Amino acid sequence: MAKTQYYVPVGPIHPALKEPIRVEAKVEGERIVEVDVKRGFAHRGIEYMGMKRNAIQTLYLSERICGICSISHPYAFVIGSEKALGIEAPPRAQYIRTIIAELERIHSHILWLGVVAHEMGFDSLLFWTWKGREKVLDILELLTGNRINYSVFMIGGVRRDITESQAKAIKDMINYYRIFTEEMKDVFLADPVYKARTRGVAQLSRDMAKKLNVCGPVARAAGLRMDVRQDNPYDAYADIGVRAVVPQDIVGEARGDAYDITLVRIYEIEQSLDIIEFCLEGMPEGKIMAIPNYVALLAKIRRSEGEAIGMHEAPRGEVIHYFKYGNKRDGPVVWKVIAPSYNNINTWGPLLLGAEVADIPIVVAYIDPCMCCNDRVAVVRDENGRIIDPATLHLKAVEKTRKLREELGVRE
Amino acid sequence: MREPMSVEEVLKRLQEALGEALLSHEVREYTMGVRRKRTYRELWIEIDPKAFRRAVEVMFELDYPHLHFITGEDDGGDSLRMVYSFGLFWAIPWGELSVTMRFNLPKDSLVLPTITDLMPGAETNEREIREMLGVEFEGLKNKRHLFLPDDWPEGKYPWRKDEYGVEDMVKHTHKSVNEIRRGE
Repeated sequence: MAKTQYYVPVGPIHPALKEPIRVEAKVEGERIVEVDVKRGFAHRGIEYMGMKRNAIQTLYLSERICGICSISHPYAFVIGSEKALGIEAPPRAQYIRTIIAELERIHSHILWLGVVAHEMGFDSLLFWTWKGREKVLDILELLTGNRINYSVFMIGGVRRDITESQAKAIKDMINYYRIFTEEMKDVFLADPVYKARTRGVAQLSRDMAKKLNVCGPVARAAGLRMDVRQDNPYDAYADIGVRAVVPQDIVGEARGDAYDITLVRIYEIEQSLDIIEFCLEGMPEGKIMAIPNYVALLAKIRRSEGEAIGMHEAPRGEVIHYFKYGNKRDGPVVWKVIAPSYNNINTWGPLLLGAEVADIPIVVAYIDPCMCCNDRVAVVRDENGRIIDPATLHLKAVEKTRKLREELGVRE
Repeated sequence: MREPMSVEEVLKRLQEALGEALLSHEVREYTMGVRRKRTYRELWIEIDPKAFRRAVEVMFELDYPHLHFITGEDDGGDSLRMVYSFGLFWAIPWGELSVTMRFNLPKDSLVLPTITDLMPGAETNEREIREMLGVEFEGLKNKRHLFLPDDWPEGKYPWRKDEYGVEDMVKHTHKSVNEIRRGE
């Protein structure tokens, strides 16, 4: 009997795909033989909106691009704007920015670890990691007043200083996470089931990573030593001399699979703790804003002309903002934003080909696509009349983990 | 291990390859850091659109680049201003050299050669520019819409500021795309 092929549309919105995006997979039995990725379900035209506002309004608009890394886009925005306008942020502000960006990296990476655990069916691990993440969110709330959309960056500085008592709270947090990271290494990296479930899944070769133009932890897991903080440093990163975390330095070789990406992310949390510690110890004194008067700042922007590129290494990869100021406008004339997922989603097509249906959630989740908290999915029935919906797909992933657990002889 | 080249060397190679098609160049310097101040430099060049493909090939001869972005600007005039930004010598501490090439593409011949044969990952960028600005990429295999819906009217480009822009659609936001298409 000839094999029948079925389409499994996943999305537009699905628990494993944090963004409204659609993966149309053609399956033959359990194997995916053809894949098509469709995006653009919620294109907000945010660049167009930014070109009609002034630079300060656009800065806070850029914070709304991503719901999780709400400091990544403002960071690239301020770096690019300062380059275009010729403003230099005071040293203290540069250190504060770096601290906040690294705090965000910790919470984003821990969030991802929880999500991936959930996709594999380790739900207690999800709750445990997310409980651990609360501490860094509390610190961000203490520093900025918000747990998300901190609104603390400004062109030429920051709007909130870090006081002595806040610095002490951050130091306590660092001690907490030093222990927590060690526990995470035990739970994730040393676990045989986790290893079996992720080794060889979503494997990206070094050459393919280069050709697909990927960035961030996805590229580093494939063995490429790329990191904006290292290649093109800015602010306090220039003083520190950050080195990209790559699996070959830790375990000797880079295989570029879901296990390596977990490895990179856990070790990057440690690196972030080191960076924060460095910044707290060497924090320069002085003011925190180059031009504290917003009216004067906008007047300066109106008089300026220039174009520049701002880059920041966000938790998920590089964020690039291109600006052009001029035409006597107080906002950017041209604004182009590239987010890490823009390039990283390129990997889904090649990685899903030949994979099993149960691996879709992991392949999709491993690049950490941006979050959009809705739930909607198309329902399809397979030949037996069973519905392939998000729950079934999740169940398939869980079943595979259980099967592996039995095979490896690990008890519940 | 790759050795990063200086801005001058990269510029020299571009000048040799492009000749007069390299209309102008600018080396920009930025100082970064607080205690260990270091200067890094960027290369911004202005080229003739005809020499675009050759310029990109030079990038790939020097080092396999990282494509930062492709964008374009329409100021309502006779041409589109295209911007291509590449990062050379990435993955080397302080080594990345960003090369940004800009050129004016006349609106009566909005055609550019694709770079997806050299870098498959550039497909998303090219598809976005194609649907947003109406630039046709010769040799681009996947020409489906990326961000815009499949039933987006032909000849309308959201980033254009001339008669091909979305002005009439903005005025009729209560209407569906199909209604506008049918001229209701």
